[in-house]
Amino acid sequence: MTVWTNTELKKVSSFIYNCRKCGMCGNKTSDTIPYVCPVKEHTAGFEHFYSRGRLVIAQGLLENQIIPSQELADIVYACSLCGNCTEQCGMTDPRTGLPLVDGARVIEAMRADLYRTHPEYLAKGYHRALSATRQYDNPWESPRLKKQKWPQGIKLKNAQKEPVDVLLFVGCTIPSNPLLVDRARKAAIILKQAGIEVGILGKNEPCCGSVQRRIGAVDLFHEMMERNIRFLNSLECDMIVTLCAGCYHTLKKDYASADEKLSPKVYHMVEYLSQLIKERKMAFAGKQSIRVAYHDPCHLGRHMKIFDPPRFVIENLSGVTLTERSSTKENTICCGAGGGMRLLAEGDLAEKIGKEALVSALDAGAEGLVTACPFCEINLETASQRYDIMLPVYDIVDLVSEAIKS
Amino acid sequence: MTQVTMIPKTVYTDLCDIVGKDYIATGPLATFAYTQDASIFGGTKSQMIIRPGTTEEVSLILSLVNEQGIPVVIRGGGASVLGQPRGEPGSNILFDMTRMNKLLSIDEKNMTMTVQAGIIMSKLQRECQKAGYYKRLPLPPIHIATLGGWLSAAGGGSGLVQETVGMTVVLPNGTVVSTGGGPGTNINQPSLFNRYLGGPDLTSLFMGDCGVFGVKTEITTRITHPPAAVRASAFVFRCLEDTLEMVDRYMERVDRQPFDPISVFCPATAKTFIPVSGDEEPYVVLGILYAQSLPEMDVKLEFFNSLAEQLGGTRNPVLDAMMSSLALVNLDSSEEEKNAREKADANWLSSLNALGLPALLSYTLPRNGFVECLKELYRFRNTGLEEARQKGYHWTSSFEAFTPIDPSTIYGDMAVFFPDTKNTELAEFINKFTRDYLEFGCKIGSIDTHKQGFMTNKFAKYWSPSYKELYQTIKYAVDPKNILNRDLWIPEDEEKKF
Repeated sequence: MTVWTNTELKKVSSFIYNCRKCGMCGNKTSDTIPYVCPVKEHTAGFEHFYSRGRLVIAQGLLENQIIPSQELADIVYACSLCGNCTEQCGMTDPRTGLPLVDGARVIEAMRADLYRTHPEYLAKGYHRALSATRQYDNPWESPRLKKQKWPQGIKLKNAQKEPVDVLLFVGCTIPSNPLLVDRARKAAIILKQAGIEVGILGKNEPCCGSVQRRIGAVDLFHEMMERNIRFLNSLECDMIVTLCAGCYHTLKKDYASADEKLSPKVYHMVEYLSQLIKERKMAFAGKQSIRVAYHDPCHLGRHMKIFDPPRFVIENLSGVTLTERSSTKENTICCGAGGGMRLLAEGDLAEKIGKEALVSALDAGAEGLVTACPFCEINLETASQRYDIMLPVYDIVDLVSEAIKS
Repeated sequence: MTQVTMIPKTVYTDLCDIVGKDYIATGPLATFAYTQDASIFGGTKSQMIIRPGTTEEVSLILSLVNEQGIPVVIRGGGASVLGQPRGEPGSNILFDMTRMNKLLSIDEKNMTMTVQAGIIMSKLQRECQKAGYYKRLPLPPIHIATLGGWLSAAGGGSGLVQETVGMTVVLPNGTVVSTGGGPGTNINQPSLFNRYLGGPDLTSLFMGDCGVFGVKTEITTRITHPPAAVRASAFVFRCLEDTLEMVDRYMERVDRQPFDPISVFCPATAKTFIPVSGDEEPYVVLGILYAQSLPEMDVKLEFFNSLAEQLGGTRNPVLDAMMSSLALVNLDSSEEEKNAREKADANWLSSLNALGLPALLSYTLPRNGFVECLKELYRFRNTGLEEARQKGYHWTSSFEAFTPIDPSTIYGDMAVFFPDTKNTELAEFINKFTRDYLEFGCKIGSIDTHKQGFMTNKFAKYWSPSYKELYQTIKYAVDPKNILNRDLWIPEDEEKKF
């Protein structure tokens, strides 16, 4: 057993000491913010279930007032890293505009220190995901060949062998899940129809490391990040388009911390679709007739501030009407799947949280809930089945694909 | 060293049977999470945290733990600025009251609402607005303080104390009592409609009691129809004397509770809003005006503005621009305007929090003699800041303002903010500086308005013997085992009475 060192926690200690412990991160409420922390709301609600109490615990660890234990693991892994606590805290450095307190970063640091020193406290699901990463280069124990098989019948370039306009980075989650795999095919067809030279990497597409980083395996993540940057920089492509909000956040934001920078520009599919529509490279017809709400994935919305492009895309689809839920954009309540929460207690808490997202969409008069992240989609879909909520969940690619077919 | 008394296992089992196991936390980290609050003085160590959900649960818990003599500490939103009561560190059961956060009823005829005491005030306001009514609340702690906590601290200025019609309180032995004229004072009157009817105003007993007499569980408070408009107006005055003249003259005319608040920003703070030249020392007087109709608003604005102009106040374009973007609420405000207002409400606290470690130096002084006392307090503060400077501690901003609570009472702050939040020695310095300041304030006659926690013991040292005797008599009568917020207001050498 390694001795607890606070290595990662020390790096974020400013966030801990800047916090004035006022509790707004757990108690703020308004017409557009029904609550801040989805975990506090769907558990017994003690202080350690939301940011203030967790920062107090982090300070206790830094000052050696408390010691890590199984209880610490139970606390720090019950967090979707959605960042709403940071958003609603609102403390920012007036010079840089950056947050002075970032609860999610502190949780990530505690997870990293815990994983380094006491991996035995982590739930089995996390160990499986990390072990699978070493075996399959993805966290889902999914054979690499699945990344090779999804494009069958669609002529796509091999980005390792020839130059491409766009590298379609499908991620690990979509090809591994039979319910989602069609998403990758639809995305490729949409881009081809817009006249884009699309390339893929097939079984050689690497895992971005998002899940591993959120679990706390930062050393493994850094290995993956450095290897991936070298590999992606070796390709002849200027642009990477991701279908997964987690991949997008990781490639664009987390990889920026590496010594060697990622050369290709990173876009999420919603950004790229929005650009293609503006450039009039896409045409839609209107056989659909549906009123939808858009669920901002935390990794795309709150963390990366991509709020308008998905709405622009939806609003441009003939026959599709966008309705907004009461809490939307930066105030969106997490779907519940973030931060590895689906790997915890069989997704029980994640689905309870997901139920709220569905109900709020129904309240807004939506006939469907659209998102742009496979994690959100899986969790919302599972929650709708578990709680018997009749609301179809779509990825934005589904709607665009349908509009193109029309 | 305090001897920690362990809670017997049988008691734990019984407590689980009362609130359910999920709402009891005993883990070392779960309890540690409650050792801080919004103050620099922090919270206390407890061996168990309970989140009760109903009055009945609180009653059953208290009757059980009272038998055992287990100390209990009550916590609302953890928004205290003077530290949480310590109880008996390590031995306490801490009640986290924020689970009791529901709207129970709205009485449209009597214009009251009844809520559970642990409701956060912004939620209270939201529930009220959903029902088509309005509740005026203090702005700074709106997202962090509970109504029960605010009343236990008798938080001044907002009128919430006066607007409370009655409450349900669980006494330390588990007895549930209801205060307020209505069913409490006439068994044939089912409505709680005016707290001052019947016998003595026993609701007041629990105002500012810091929870030492009982646990507030339900509160009935007045509501109003939504204001048609809220406006702000500000004027610059050139000296403290003229500023106070404005305050006095305004208070002569505006005496209803809750009155439209008038605040004064002293030069150090005023200069952050408006450009000044040379050695000008501007005071900014800010009035927030509420009206139930637009004609009423016109009259109020006219009165405020003409009074300020008569007394030498001048307008400032920067301030005027701020006023037009601030607090503009109309019944027909768009969703966008409402959202912007909501954000501004929260940003106020965020901006203050972002300034760094605060030395919150507050005072409550009588209007008579205010100027002399204020100058002494400033002198004390400046001496402390000079000491800080010599130690190498830098402060970057201060917040200096005061507001009359009523014609005879002025509450104010001369807070200083130190950006070096990681410096533990600085934190200790601020802690001691604030304690010394509070002590000094008492010596020159400042009286506490924040009855929020263990630092209020500083103020209790200066109670008159007869007041102390009365307090202790009541405390002994309702809490003979002294289980509730045990450390407050009874010097250790006098605890033997209990």
